[in-house]
Amino acid sequence: MSRRIWENDWFGPLLVVVVAVAIVGALNPSFLSPFNIQILLLAISVNAMIAFSQMIIIAIGQMNLSVGAIGGLAAIAFGGMMEVWGIPWPIAAFLALALGLVAGLANGVLVAFTGISAFVITLATLSAYKGVNLGITEAQPFYEIPATVKALGNETFLHPLPWLIIPCVVVALLLWYLLNRLPLGRSILAVGGNEHAAELSGISVRGIVITAHAVSGLLAALAGIMLVGRLQLGQPTIGDDWLILSFAAPVIGGAILSGGHVSVAGTFLGVAIVAIFTQVLVLFNIDPFLVQVVLGVLILWAVGINRFREVRAQRHAEQVAT
Amino acid sequence: MNQTVFHAEGVTKTFPGVTALEDVRLTLSKGSIHALLGENGAGKSTLIKVITGVHRPDSGHLTLNGSAFEPSGPRDAIGHGIGVVHQERNLIPRFSIGENIFLEGLSAHPLKRIDYKKLFSDAREWLDLLGVDADPSMPVDRLSVAKIQLVEIAKALSLNSRILLLDEPTASLTPHETDTLFAILRRLRDDGVSLMFVSHKLEEVQEICDQVTVLRDGRNACESRTLEGLDRQAIVRLMIGRSEQIPDWSARDRSTGDAALQLKDVSTSLGHKQIDLTVHKGEIVGLYGLVGAGRSELAKAIMGKFAMTGGSVLVKGKQVDIRSVADAVGRYRIGYVSEDRKSEGLVLMHSVLENVGMPIWRRLAGFAHLLTNRTVRRHTEPFIRKLEVRTPSLEQHVGNLSGGNQQKVSVAKWLAAEVEILIVDEPSVGIDIKTKAYLHELIRELSDNGTALLLITSDMPEMITLADHIVVMNDYRVMGEIDNTRDYDTMSERIMALIQGEETVAAGV
Repeated sequence: MSRRIWENDWFGPLLVVVVAVAIVGALNPSFLSPFNIQILLLAISVNAMIAFSQMIIIAIGQMNLSVGAIGGLAAIAFGGMMEVWGIPWPIAAFLALALGLVAGLANGVLVAFTGISAFVITLATLSAYKGVNLGITEAQPFYEIPATVKALGNETFLHPLPWLIIPCVVVALLLWYLLNRLPLGRSILAVGGNEHAAELSGISVRGIVITAHAVSGLLAALAGIMLVGRLQLGQPTIGDDWLILSFAAPVIGGAILSGGHVSVAGTFLGVAIVAIFTQVLVLFNIDPFLVQVVLGVLILWAVGINRFREVRAQRHAEQVAT
Repeated sequence: MNQTVFHAEGVTKTFPGVTALEDVRLTLSKGSIHALLGENGAGKSTLIKVITGVHRPDSGHLTLNGSAFEPSGPRDAIGHGIGVVHQERNLIPRFSIGENIFLEGLSAHPLKRIDYKKLFSDAREWLDLLGVDADPSMPVDRLSVAKIQLVEIAKALSLNSRILLLDEPTASLTPHETDTLFAILRRLRDDGVSLMFVSHKLEEVQEICDQVTVLRDGRNACESRTLEGLDRQAIVRLMIGRSEQIPDWSARDRSTGDAALQLKDVSTSLGHKQIDLTVHKGEIVGLYGLVGAGRSELAKAIMGKFAMTGGSVLVKGKQVDIRSVADAVGRYRIGYVSEDRKSEGLVLMHSVLENVGMPIWRRLAGFAHLLTNRTVRRHTEPFIRKLEVRTPSLEQHVGNLSGGNQQKVSVAKWLAAEVEILIVDEPSVGIDIKTKAYLHELIRELSDNGTALLLITSDMPEMITLADHIVVMNDYRVMGEIDNTRDYDTMSERIMALIQGEETVAAGV
């Protein structure tokens, strides 16, 4: 794999992160205070899970519009089971994850067996899952969250590292291993890269599509559960604002929306960039609505760079050929 | 040596409205390179799809190594050792060479760690066998077309393919790369692999193949015969030989009318050189040549889709600069009936009315760019009626019509646009003989009414039926032109001689 360091997907985003941290840290030293770093890492931990949940679907060349709805449903299920039924939090968390897995499986099965595009299927299930959420909660949050969960969602185990960074790092490492070292993960990327060729090579395209959606549902649920701890509330609105971020971070990290190529490290750094920019705007008292604008510009910038690289690679290949 | 590996007997395959293959035979022997030849629409690709399990034949049977072979699908055919290298790429672009070669093995153990070191060293062996100098860990989207092709061959061989079908493998290769590929194919042949080679380049076929099967109109023009004693001219005759009656129309001379379209010493960005061509009002000029001669490409350059790099184009005597297709249609009234009506000519999921109206929407749109269906209907219905498009209603989706009726819709579209110059590219591909005859009358009638027509067809009888004047192209150049006397035998001989002309020129250089 003799590629030069700046050709890696993570190089550009990493450069942005380093430069941004250096500049902001110099202008406003409180940015690098342990407390601020803790806040930043908390945001990154949850958002990375959201981004990974979408990334795995981007890998097969599809979209999952229902990540937020699944995350929200898992979140209120987690909160509700603890408040209403008094179920201990680890069991409630496990059941909420199972719920996310089932919701993802349902997406996958519908996409794989109907031949309808994932965009339409997940648009429909987005509405359905959100409806179930509102039916259960009647739009009221669950307030009775155990102290342990609240602590895990906010405190640090090693200053300034929050507990929430642990599941985030573990999931990132597992995903990297899956996508780069296991045949299952390679098959996911193969289906996204060239579905026809993958099928002719004996890969079960249906099985892979279902698997990817199941993993996506599981990760969305995990993000929802983590957010319950972080907010100390079983908020029914959890997940409503995930969609843009879920696409922005993988794309900033070099993912190709038509499938076949994603980067775990790049996606993680994409999340970090968004978190840093958001913080900076708060730190300098800039209108927080500008975050949306900045996010939009970041997406265009990332897509532009990818396109530029693609064109250059094609030209290179043509030169080799002639 | 002459051991039969694969045999197809009496293979017939029909699609709605067309018989693609009729009673076709083919025999592949061990350790030989077999050429499959034929013009567009002759049934080559259907035959390949039958052999590789994509289509099931309506009748006839296949035998592989002496036993009956009924592939249930492409995977089954691969499992039986039939490998294909398609024209379109069948690799995962971002994956390494090694992973692409062994992708098949991946799905067996989804959770077993991939041993990349072993994978790459195994891949190295296949690459060495084929003499490919490339790092197995290199992603395939960084390779040249030639190397990608070799990786596909390595992949097929790694699956124990004893039969390898190559669909136009040299189409995008340089001469040097082609030589390398041929050396490899010869070595595979000597190792006992049966290769089937589809190509439009006859020199290559003569250079590398031992046996040949020619298809014409879905039938065998010759079957699995040796190439010895078959010169280029004989092959061409087999490919384009006479297959139907020429209607008894009188020869016309329309070259006295006003010139509608003139090309003078035109060259294009696609590689056309010194193209001179004149189409007069009411004249049908045929553009003949084998596939790959650059005829459709020239048509698209005239339509403004590709850039002209030299020479001049005159429409009705005035020099013009056609910059876009919209320019060609709107300002100069030139229409183009594409050879590929399904992807270039029609919007299959739209109605007949919308398809026919498309080129004139801009012209018909009135105040505030409002356009009513009634206006479009008034301007298109006469033409749809005139061509007798058989459709339950004008709202019918074009995709639901038969091939012949689809073709009528694509012609009606340009009639409604009131074009003065119409380029018709392979008008009768995929339509039955009766509709074809009707279409011929229609084209003739159009020219009688003053439309200047440039007809591109690889179908020799069609060319001699319709054209008043025939321009022969080869290798992106005009080889010569002749007036059509409508005497089939002398005309086809003369056209062939003009195509051959290229060889003497090439020899002189």
